Amino acid sequence: MPDGAGYVGGKRPDELVAARPPPGQGPVVGAALAVGILLMGVQLWLLTIALDLYLAGKGAQVWGIAAVSGLIFLGGLVVLWVLGRRPRTITRWR
Amino acid sequence: MMESERALAQPPVGSSADGQVERWRAEFPYHWDADDLVARRQLLRFAVYSAGALFASTAFLALLGALTGRAHPAAKQVARVGDVPEGRALYFAYPEPDDQAMLLHLPGGRFVAYSQRCTHLSCAVYYQPERGRLYCPCHEGVFNPLTGDPVAGPPQRPLARIALRRDGDVLYAVGVEA
Repeated sequence: MPDGAGYVGGKRPDELVAARPPPGQGPVVGAALAVGILLMGVQLWLLTIALDLYLAGKGAQVWGIAAVSGLIFLGGLVVLWVLGRRPRTITRWR
Repeated sequence: MMESERALAQPPVGSSADGQVERWRAEFPYHWDADDLVARRQLLRFAVYSAGALFASTAFLALLGALTGRAHPAAKQVARVGDVPEGRALYFAYPEPDDQAMLLHLPGGRFVAYSQRCTHLSCAVYYQPERGRLYCPCHEGVFNPLTGDPVAGPPQRPLARIALRRDGDVLYAVGVEA
């Protein structure tokens, strides 16, 4: 399959990323974006709490906050991976 | 003719029926095809990378907190009891030579010691015995000399307290309590 005509290495090429998404995926991407930006706000809030704890000398309590922030990041990676997969196609068997 | 000039010469979308160009379009000839479009997927990818940066920052703070929290400063002789009259303060360095601290001889004979670093923006805090307070001149922060708690101004956290040990008539600083 030539570059640009399909998905090389399981990753959607940039020119297809910029193109119209497959039917039904547009709202999914929009929803993922909305939730992702909301969770980024939560991460920013967690960072301020972590900084406050660190400056108060309670650095040992920051690990839990870092774990939650890491889970949010991990969730984002999973969503990115799921949306980057080749969409399933319906095959008609004869 | 350049590409941008050619685009401007074409009749814009907002032309009215008699060929007159709407005034706002004439003043703001912006074309969608000249816009640099960003797909939602690209924005999502950027958001995930930003989330990674935020996580890395939080993890860095946790690591820094774990590394600095493990250090147990050694005991250091601060002063003899008679060196600091009641209602006066002695300024010293603890635990590192750059960490300024103060030993207070409070009315009643009690000794307490705090870091001089203001918990707002790290300015030096001074004891004002005549007003019975610890004062940060940078932003008018005030702390209670009995407890180190903030009582006025922008500071929100108490001063770091330095643990003292009295051995005869000698006072030792033995650690920093956050």
